Amino acid sequence: MEGFPQLTTWAQANVEQAVFYLLAVIAIPLAYGVVCDRNIIRSGFLLIGVFSTIAGLFILLSAQFLALAQIMIYGVGITLVVVIALMLTNPKAEKESMPALSIHKGPAIFVACFLFMCVYLALRSAENWPVKTDVAALSAAENLSRIGQSLLTNYSFHFEFASILLLAALIGAVMLAKAEPAVHDLNELSANEDKLKSSERADDVVKV
Amino acid sequence: MFGLVGRAVESLYYVCVGLWTVAKHTGRAPITKEFPDTMPDLPGAFRGRLALAVNPETSEHLCISCRQCERVCPDKCIDITAHKSPETGKLELIDFKIDHGLCMFCGLCTEVCPTTCIINTNDFEMSDYSREALIYDLKKLTLTQDESAHYFSKKYLPIPKPKPKPAPKPAAAAAKPADGVAAPAKPAPPAAKPAEGAAAAKSAPAATDKPAGDAAATKPTAEKKADDSKDSEKEKAAPEPSAAEGKAEPDKTEG
Amino acid sequence: MNPAVFEIGKFARLTVIWLSIIFGAVWAACWAVGVFAPALINASGMPTETASLASEVLRALVPVVAVAVFIPINAMFMVLCERRALALFTVRKGPNRVGPDGLLQTAADAVKLLFKEDITPHGADAVMFTAAPIIFFAPSIIGVLPLLAAASGNHELFRSVNLPTGIFYVLAIASIPVVGIVMGGWASNNKYSLVGALRSAAQAISYEIPLVLSIVAVCLMAGTLDVVKIADQQKDSLLSWNIFGGGALLPYVNLVVAGLQGNNEQVQAIMQHFQAQPLGPFAAVLMVVCCIIFFGIYITGACAEVNRIPFDLPEAESELVSGYNTEYSGIKFAIFFLAEFTNLFVVCSIASIMFLGGGHAPLPGLEQGFTEMLGGILKQLPGSKEIFSPGWLINSLVNPSTVSQAFWIILKTYSLVIFAILIRATLPRFRIDQLMAFGWKRLIPLSLILLIALTYLRELV
Ligand code: SF4
Ligand code: SF4
Repeated sequence: MEGFPQLTTWAQANVEQAVFYLLAVIAIPLAYGVVCDRNIIRSGFLLIGVFSTIAGLFILLSAQFLALAQIMIYGVGITLVVVIALMLTNPKAEKESMPALSIHKGPAIFVACFLFMCVYLALRSAENWPVKTDVAALSAAENLSRIGQSLLTNYSFHFEFASILLLAALIGAVMLAKAEPAVHDLNELSANEDKLKSSERADDVVKV
Repeated sequence: MFGLVGRAVESLYYVCVGLWTVAKHTGRAPITKEFPDTMPDLPGAFRGRLALAVNPETSEHLCISCRQCERVCPDKCIDITAHKSPETGKLELIDFKIDHGLCMFCGLCTEVCPTTCIINTNDFEMSDYSREALIYDLKKLTLTQDESAHYFSKKYLPIPKPKPKPAPKPAAAAAKPADGVAAPAKPAPPAAKPAEGAAAAKSAPAATDKPAGDAAATKPTAEKKADDSKDSEKEKAAPEPSAAEGKAEPDKTEG
Repeated sequence: MNPAVFEIGKFARLTVIWLSIIFGAVWAACWAVGVFAPALINASGMPTETASLASEVLRALVPVVAVAVFIPINAMFMVLCERRALALFTVRKGPNRVGPDGLLQTAADAVKLLFKEDITPHGADAVMFTAAPIIFFAPSIIGVLPLLAAASGNHELFRSVNLPTGIFYVLAIASIPVVGIVMGGWASNNKYSLVGALRSAAQAISYEIPLVLSIVAVCLMAGTLDVVKIADQQKDSLLSWNIFGGGALLPYVNLVVAGLQGNNEQVQAIMQHFQAQPLGPFAAVLMVVCCIIFFGIYITGACAEVNRIPFDLPEAESELVSGYNTEYSGIKFAIFFLAEFTNLFVVCSIASIMFLGGGHAPLPGLEQGFTEMLGGILKQLPGSKEIFSPGWLINSLVNPSTVSQAFWIILKTYSLVIFAILIRATLPRFRIDQLMAFGWKRLIPLSLILLIALTYLRELV
């Protein structure tokens, strides 16, 4: 916010923390809702809300680009596709075929506690988790070009690897989608078989 | 590859042709009819509100209470009350109700009517405050002589043969059509029928104040003319009087 | 009189009246909040600390005020404009009863919509049903902010919203509304709504790719994401607009001009440049072709993003009643409606900033001449320094360069809007499989190929 020196200082003093807590207060119930909501589609929408609040946290960290990417890719793109995929399923039928959930409760709590401890300990020991402080001092425009440069120089391997991973996933999805030609009725089936047979016969003739 | 490019260019060209065609029409004087201010000029075949016509020349009511329309109506929205007149022994129309709330304006009733009595008018402004108000009775349905003449000429209908009456009271019939002064139909000799219709159509203004007999007197000359020039009209006119005859026959007691 | 001239004249009159209302209101609101109120506070003798903080807060609020005033009035105008323009194209009259020549039709419609009963259908998810229109609408308020800076010629009141992530911010925010559509469609508990919402999501996600790629192409040529910088790079003339290759042709046109003028030195200088790049002219022409195609791709993708005909499958009336907003009524429906037209405006203004030179005039010298003329007139005013004098009022109200830029960008954006309406009047709706095939099999490969081509051509020019 160049051009507003006083406003900026005032906001840094008073607003930043308030906004952080506001975001936290919004994000935590939303996250709780994602896990606990009975309606799986609604929890999908809540997940979009959680991602958006996290984007807000990124903005507080003056990582504009990251925040926008978060909204565009996670908030809208991926989660929306997940929600749509959920809409195409039949949650009621799934529920019936599922085994009782209670047997998983113990391990789930264990894993959650374990993960929490990991993150907590990692954050506690600052020297094992070095946080660079000079990056935030860059202006937003410099920040942007820094991201671009490091993606294509220092981290180009990771960048490319991620894109190959996505490509593989994409190809996998295509293969799944066109695995078998859908057979709509018996007529078509028999027609296909006839065709197959005739082609086989043709092959045989060639072989002979 | 080049096929694809060619197709893309071609489809783009057609899109541009379409856009240009629309753009060319931009700003032409609007064809909008601003309805409440100016009435749209509807064609004669428009199927609007139903009405019962009177003979445009003699102003006698054309309905012969044959109930064909009542029978054919898919919605059963026509309700005819008629009785046999004690004096003449002929069917006499007492009331004729059409529920326009039920009617779908299919026009079937106008097709079957042997006397072209029931017609679709060009009137379509019938909105009302209650459903009951949409049930039109005989008085509301019957058109005046002028209106009938208007619709007969607009729909190119042949003017029906006037019914010869023993005691002609045309003025009374015109003034009070609701009374149902439907004179019994008296079939004329079959040969004269088409000619008569055609003649009446030809000399409409003159024939209106003439008694029915006069029109019949001009038969021979008119017949030739009709044969020469009005073939199509004759064909149209022909079946109707005979149908009228057929319907009227059971009730025929005199003549 | 010639009916064509008459009808088009009536349409033009309506447009001019409404546009002056819209931009007069926005202008006045911005001035009141950003100039007049701070001046008042400063003059009122408050303690300096508080006073300057308060005026800074007010000035920071200006962009938001501008958008908040602009969006409702503009949507009203666009609905009316669309109906009247469609009437023009289809030889009808359009709304012409309410107010003089139908000018107030949409204002009356808006009032009617606000007073209608707000119905939540049985079995609907009430919270999400209410949240959907808000999620659909809010992005169009916060998304246009960076565009304001570019549209106003980087006016000091709008400078703060000129984000360095500029166009990326706009695109990221513009991708949110589809969440609102899916949410509304799902929460309505109605099959038509759900199908409409799913179609909309599928369509928005697939057409966003060519849309973003065409914007990426422009950013690639400009070398920045900052909308103000992108607009400023196109300021010279028509030929430096991004749709014509962002100035790729400029040296060659200069060569011809210099040759015609017989300016040998300049010819020599330019020829030297050519010797370094022998493929230059060829590449420049190819680049222009690429850019024009990218503009076409952008317009196509934008039509699909905002669900306009021929891509209005999400609300295909003949199949889906009204698509995702079937169950909405009253004010929630009004919000959907408002947002739809605002989104159309936003994509058109993005197009005019990214491709058509933003607020810059198509001919060199036009803008400068106008600015100097208006500046000269303003200087003539007496007492223009003294606060609250008439001279101060006019001087603070009228900024010559902003006036010129606003004029051009308004002209360009609304021309694009009317072009979108012409498309609507012409083309029939796609079928859903045609739509998907066109998006994935044609547009996306085309834009990828062109993007790569552009990357290399840029080096050759
Ligand atoms: S128009 Fe059709 S529906 Fe109406 S009264 Fe005649 S037959 Fe019945
Ligand atoms: S004459 Fe015509 S209107 Fe009268 S009952 Fe027969 S069909 Fe109906």
